[in-house]
Amino acid sequence: MFAEQLINGITLGSIYAVVALGYTLVFGVLDIINMAHGEIFMFGAFVGMLIVTKVHSSLGIAFAGAIASTAAMGYLLERFALRPLRGKSGGSPLAPLISTIGVSIILENVAHKLFGAGNHLFETPFAEIRFDVGPVTVYLVQVVILAISILLMAGLSLWLRKTRAGKALRATAENLETAALMGVATNRIITATVVIASAMGGVAGVLVGMAFNYINNQMGLAMGLKGLAIIIFGGMGSVGGAMAGGLILGLSETLVVAYGSSGYRDAIAFVAIIVVLLIKPQGLFGQALPGTER
Amino acid sequence: MSRSIRFLCLASMLGFALVFMGAAKDAHKASPPARTRKPPVDAKIGVISIITGQGAGYGEAITNGFKLARDEVNAKGNVKIELVIEDSSGKQEQALAAAQKLINSSQVVAILGPTLSTEMKVVGPEANASGVPIMGTSTTAAGITQIGKYVFRNSLPESLAIPASVRKAVKKYNIRKVAILYGNDDVFTKSGFDSMKKASEDLKLDILTVETFQKGQADYKAQLTKIKNLSPDAVFCSALYEEGAVILSQARKIGIKTPFVGGNGFNSPKVIEIAKGAAEGLVVATPWFADRNTPKVTAFVARYEKAYGKKPDQFAAQAYDALYIMAEALGNAGKADRKLLRDSLAGIRNFDGVLGKFSFDAERDVVMEPNVLIIKGGKFQMFK
Amino acid sequence: MPFDWLNPYHLQVASFILINVILGVSIYVTLATGQLSLGNAGFMSIGAYTSAILTTGHGVPMVAGIVSGSLLAGVSGILVGIPALRLSGVYLAIATLGFGEVVRVVFINWESLTGGAVGIAAIPQMGREILAALRDAGFSPESLGLQNNQFISLAVFVILSVTTLAVILFFLRLANSRVGRAYGAIRMDEAAAEATGIDTTYYKVLAFSQGALLSGLAGALYAHATSYVSPADFTYHRAVEILVFAVFGGSEHLLGPVFGAMFLTVIPEVLRFVNDYRHIIYGTLLVLMMVFRPQGVIDPPLLDRLSGREPAEGH
Repeated sequence: MFAEQLINGITLGSIYAVVALGYTLVFGVLDIINMAHGEIFMFGAFVGMLIVTKVHSSLGIAFAGAIASTAAMGYLLERFALRPLRGKSGGSPLAPLISTIGVSIILENVAHKLFGAGNHLFETPFAEIRFDVGPVTVYLVQVVILAISILLMAGLSLWLRKTRAGKALRATAENLETAALMGVATNRIITATVVIASAMGGVAGVLVGMAFNYINNQMGLAMGLKGLAIIIFGGMGSVGGAMAGGLILGLSETLVVAYGSSGYRDAIAFVAIIVVLLIKPQGLFGQALPGTER
Repeated sequence: MSRSIRFLCLASMLGFALVFMGAAKDAHKASPPARTRKPPVDAKIGVISIITGQGAGYGEAITNGFKLARDEVNAKGNVKIELVIEDSSGKQEQALAAAQKLINSSQVVAILGPTLSTEMKVVGPEANASGVPIMGTSTTAAGITQIGKYVFRNSLPESLAIPASVRKAVKKYNIRKVAILYGNDDVFTKSGFDSMKKASEDLKLDILTVETFQKGQADYKAQLTKIKNLSPDAVFCSALYEEGAVILSQARKIGIKTPFVGGNGFNSPKVIEIAKGAAEGLVVATPWFADRNTPKVTAFVARYEKAYGKKPDQFAAQAYDALYIMAEALGNAGKADRKLLRDSLAGIRNFDGVLGKFSFDAERDVVMEPNVLIIKGGKFQMFK
Repeated sequence: MPFDWLNPYHLQVASFILINVILGVSIYVTLATGQLSLGNAGFMSIGAYTSAILTTGHGVPMVAGIVSGSLLAGVSGILVGIPALRLSGVYLAIATLGFGEVVRVVFINWESLTGGAVGIAAIPQMGREILAALRDAGFSPESLGLQNNQFISLAVFVILSVTTLAVILFFLRLANSRVGRAYGAIRMDEAAAEATGIDTTYYKVLAFSQGALLSGLAGALYAHATSYVSPADFTYHRAVEILVFAVFGGSEHLLGPVFGAMFLTVIPEVLRFVNDYRHIIYGTLLVLMMVFRPQGVIDPPLLDRLSGREPAEGH
């Protein structure tokens, strides 16, 4: 049983981690918590579902479609809900938080209008492939999900560290004005960041569909809150922290159900962030950021 | 405005007088709707339902059921019903505001709804205090009609449905050890669980574990893996069909092959639509069975499908019957008067609807024999 | 009947507006020191449950129940507020949001006390209690020309009006007091405030617990207005709704959230046909406000202009 629960936990944790990567990227660059990320993720799942079950295309195309549409949503989000707030004199630092909450409410309800309230089947033959390792049944999907999340994390870290664009992005994260003075096209960098983060949401959406076979328009909120907790827990803006935080949360949620009481499952994430914030406000893997002083 | 209130007072006084004079006679006779040349009874009936937000799917089926029944009733001619539909978004305070509006502004003679038991617990006392008959068509939690003597329901409570399915399943499959899984953040599934636990204890079953889940959860594998390793004879699951179908699907996928026994909320054609083959072996108890081959049911299903393009679920069926019950009570009352309507509603016995024979008991609660169904070969069948 | 125009439905809506106004003030008070707390739904539930449990299970009089509910929420506010000093900005917002969720999950699971998801029903309702008490004293609403349900709704409305008015007046006075000026200084620049000798720790915790106390009061009043509470009343969506009141109405002056709560509670009632799109409208409002008027509809310069005063220096 332990092995099976371990696999359950890792699968859940990998998905959490990919969701959290999207949050952490935007926060790292913009110091903004993108509350709409959960809903963008949900839209990615729906686009993937429509491609797989209605158009009967392959999973690859589903991923591409989900990425394309969530990237586009990311662009629109940045263009209309974030950029107008930037550089506004006297704007509250909380303004972007509130404006993205607004976008999240819009998206959740638009999804309700478009797709209805219920669960939708996300069925792919790929999700049925399984093999036995001793007494334990492992689905190929579970392995793939873990692999994709690790790949995304590694790719992202590499990209940030080694490429020109990645360096520009980090410079922007360090100090927007200075980066602009140094010739970095900060607006473009910021847009790119939000677009990439949203595209990751799209990937996560399809992963959820593959792993659990069902999606609904409420899952953005549920997953989004978990993702939020993870980045605080793992450290804001830390790519490794998001990955580790996601896995830890997924595992602990699963193990609490397995060996404790399932009723408190949803509280774990929040109890964890409250504890972490009190002991180490910058998160387990984060460096002290300006927002955490005091 | 003032005239309408004065009229209402007069009417209710007249009603009182009539009731006092005629109560004794009425109670014994329970006369069939008078088929005379009297003008039709004009009645404005309020509906509180979930039009927006989470749970709008239930609200849609319910209002569809009402509208279909209204059109049919009005076509027959001895009762003319106008529906005033208000949205509650599934929230108590909005439901209460909607009820206030219906009772005081729209001056309805009775209210159908609200959708959720939580809403009824807030709206019921208000309607009761205002002397407006209110009938829940989907409120299945315990203690609904005990709110007061103006509160009715025609929805099969879980406390009747679940013991029925549990008893039948236990007998048929010789179940001794069970695992229970339920949604602990929802009134409906929570009270379903209470009935489930009680029924299991009454039957001296060995409860191996009790697991919970919460709304919006996508991943039930942790709970299900735990259940699988305890190898129960059956899984008792108190869930609404939206979540229930997903649970079934994930359970079958990780290799739980035992029967699933659910309550009333688990019964919907959507379970098969969502869970496909994984739905096989689900036992539910329900007032509604679309394939019961009575002419009434067949005709209803056909008309509903024609009007709305999909098969009616139990929420639609219960709403449909509820409006007919209202119409019959209105016909018996002879006029659209709140007090008279209450009394004639309370006298409804052996009403023959699409759900079968229906009566109110002394507490205005449901008396009916639930159908116990099993999903086999991709459709619901009678479980024998 | 002289009071035919008195429609209980309108009174009902008005009563919910007043409760929402208190909630709007509660988020404003904490925000007055620059702390954004999204935990108000949690504090609200503490107030509501405390009073509900005391009055239904232990025969405590309603007033005592409401007071204890508010106080317990206020004390929880201190307990959350002190560690929250280490946090600011979005961290604080998310942590308090988390606090609210934890409280809700605890209420769901602590069945022996709270009844779990089923909630607590048959909580004494303010209006009905008053009517019953007056009945015993030989009074009948008919003597005033009121029907029973009119009287009940009216009683609730009057109690809530008095309470809300008291709350607003108290905090308006507070804004012009030493405490209010300290709040403002902390909001502008905490370090500078500290340097001028303001005990920022004290004032920040004070503001936090005042906000919590008010949320608890609103919750307790809510419990006794609807006579039923369940954990589903205090979700994330409630927290966001409270936030919207302050953001839309304005978070720089007390009257901002008051206006926000009133306007946003009335609109969906008046325009019930827009109900389908209500949440989409809420969301759009949030974005548009942030883009075009981040300080909210009502800000001090506007108030000055409205009252015909010269704009004060420094705005």
